[in-house]
Amino acid sequence: MARYLIVDSRDLTEYTGAGFIQKAAGQLQGAGNEVTLFLIENGVIAARKGSDVGGKLAALAQGGVRIVVDDVSCSARGISQFSDGVVSSNIDHLADLIVEGSDKVFWY
Amino acid sequence: MPTAATGSVSPASTRVATPARVKKVAIVLATGSYQREAPTTVLRLVEKLLQRGVDVNVWAFEEAVTLTNRDQIDHNEPGSLQKLLGEKHPNVGRFIDQLIRAGLHGAKLDWVSCILCVQERGVEKHQMGGAIIGTLGDLWKFVKAADRVIGIPTYR
Repeated sequence: MARYLIVDSRDLTEYTGAGFIQKAAGQLQGAGNEVTLFLIENGVIAARKGSDVGGKLAALAQGGVRIVVDDVSCSARGISQFSDGVVSSNIDHLADLIVEGSDKVFWY
Repeated sequence: MPTAATGSVSPASTRVATPARVKKVAIVLATGSYQREAPTTVLRLVEKLLQRGVDVNVWAFEEAVTLTNRDQIDHNEPGSLQKLLGEKHPNVGRFIDQLIRAGLHGAKLDWVSCILCVQERGVEKHQMGGAIIGTLGDLWKFVKAADRVIGIPTYR
């Protein structure tokens, strides 16, 4: 099985392609791969506690997708509380994932 | 990726054979200053990759070729914010310069601007020292040599 890193920089509530990203993450995980969804820039907006997409992210996390958010992006947007299953992270973790923690990287 | 026939994602049946540790990353960037956060994110990421001993090749095209314009001017921050932000608002070229210089004594950053894009934008003669003007052939070589290729999409 492969380790997928999906970096989402776009607001998942704004772009229709966002649905595909969530679907792809879920299906890759369901197929037995290890999937990390790294939310950065406007991608962290969906992770705000209480957001419409937050429920979908929580479901993905429950299914095994690891969902993390960039701390600087969150601070810049005043986001301090996250949907269930979403964990705070940072650019060091993103670099580690690219260098050692993944086999394939997609940037959306 | 989904297929037209099945509409479902093909499973990875075996682990992809990859190096134990990534040594070279290529980043393709098309976003200029003040459009989106992508250039800032790339600089943050490049710094961390260089710290980890990873060589980085950035291929800048479209508006990203303006990031290395040597004629960018630092303006003063508003007086009321200078205690917080410093006297001047630094331009992105200065950060790129620092990252290129960091590569003198460690993992290397090569920053290449697309020749077609610099010419079309009139910044060919304005590229700062350290930035290299290159071609799609350079991009191809970056991609071929990299352990990871990160393409940052452009969107409005």
